Amino acid sequence: MKEELSKIEELSKEYENIDISDIKMLMQKFFTKLRNRLENYVGDYPTFIEPVYLEDNVKIGDDVLIGPNVYIGANSEIQDYVEISNTIIFENVKVGQNFKLENCIVAKNSSFNFNNLNMKNSVLFGVAESKDELKTKDF
Amino acid sequence: MSEKNQKTVSRIKEVESTNLAPDNIRNEVIETKKAVEKDNDLLAERIHQNFKEHNVKSFDIVGAIGAGKTALLETISQRLTTKYRVLVICGDITTRVDADRIEKHNAETIQINTGRECALNAYHIHQIIKNKDLNKYDIVFIENVGNLICPSDFILGTDQRIIIVSITEGEWVVEKHPMLFKMSDIAVINKIDLKERLGTNVDKMISDAKKINPNIKVITTSAKTGENVEKLMSLMGF
Repeated sequence: MKEELSKIEELSKEYENIDISDIKMLMQKFFTKLRNRLENYVGDYPTFIEPVYLEDNVKIGDDVLIGPNVYIGANSEIQDYVEISNTIIFENVKVGQNFKLENCIVAKNSSFNFNNLNMKNSVLFGVAESKDELKTKDF
Repeated sequence: MSEKNQKTVSRIKEVESTNLAPDNIRNEVIETKKAVEKDNDLLAERIHQNFKEHNVKSFDIVGAIGAGKTALLETISQRLTTKYRVLVICGDITTRVDADRIEKHNAETIQINTGRECALNAYHIHQIIKNKDLNKYDIVFIENVGNLICPSDFILGTDQRIIIVSITEGEWVVEKHPMLFKMSDIAVINKIDLKERLGTNVDKMISDAKKINPNIKVITTSAKTGENVEKLMSLMGF
C-alpha cells in the first residue's frame, strides 16, 4: 500500500509534470490494498464508509462523509459538511467547508481556504484563497 | 432584563408556536424534506435495478439494538457461504464489531460507521455498490443501524426488508413501532429460547404484526439454539 502511495505522491508533486495514466492505474491498485485505520482522528463522529485510512492527527469537522476508498495524510484538516470518496489527500492539507471530492488527489501542503467546491477526477494543488486561484489537473 | 435576554425570550415564544419551522423558512424546510425523500427513493430504485441486473438477492435487516440482527446474520451466513458468495454491509454508529463477527463466517463485510446518523440511507449503499463488481456476489445483506424508528424514513432498494425484534424487548414492542412492520416483508421474533423464563406473550406480538401488516410473514427464532433458522431462510427464498 505505502509503495503505491509514495509513487503517487512523487507523480503528483510537480504541477507541470504529471503522468495522468500512471496515476489512475496506481490509484486503482492502491485502493484494492487499502484497509481501515480510524483510531487517531480529532473531531466528532463523522460518517465513514470503509475502507478509510487516516494518518495521525487528522482533524475532521461536523457532518462529514468520508469513504469508501479514502486516504488522508497526517495533520490534514477536513472542515464541516465535506464529502470525500475514492480520494487520496496527502499530509498537511486543509480542505474548506462543503467540498465534495470524488476520485481526486490533493497534493501535500495544499490549503484551500474557501468553501463550496465540487471536484471529480482531478489532482488539486497549492494554496488557494478562492476557487479561481485553485490549480488543478483533470484526469 | 437585558436587551439580549429579551430578544432570546421573544424568539423562544416564536419557536414555541411552531412544530416544523418558523413561518419565514417553513416552505423551504418542507421542500428540502420532500427533495431528500425523493432523492433517496430514486437512488434506492437504481440500487434495486443494479442488484436485479446482476442476479443478486438483497435484504435490508432492521431491528432494535440487541434484538439479534448480527447473531442471526452470523448463523445465516455460516449456512449460506458454503453455497453462495455473500456480502454483508453493516451499519453502526461506530466500531467494526459486527463486521468482524460476521466475517468469521466467510462472508465479505463492509462496515459503515454512521457517526451520529440513526439509519443507513440509499446514498451510503450506492457509494458502496458503485465501487463493487456485483458479479462477484450472489447475496447482499444490509444490516441497518440498531433502531426501530429512523430506518422507516429511508428505503435502501433491497428485494426484501426483514424486521427483527426479540422477546426481551417486551410484548408491546411490535404495536409501539408499527411503521417498520408496515414496510417489512418478514418479521422475526428472536430469542424464543427465553420464552418460558420471561413469560412474554409471543402470540400477542405475532397478532400485532399481522394486524399492522396482513401480508407480513412472521416467524419465531432463536439465533442461539438455531431454532427455526432454516425456516426463516426458506421464507427468504433459500
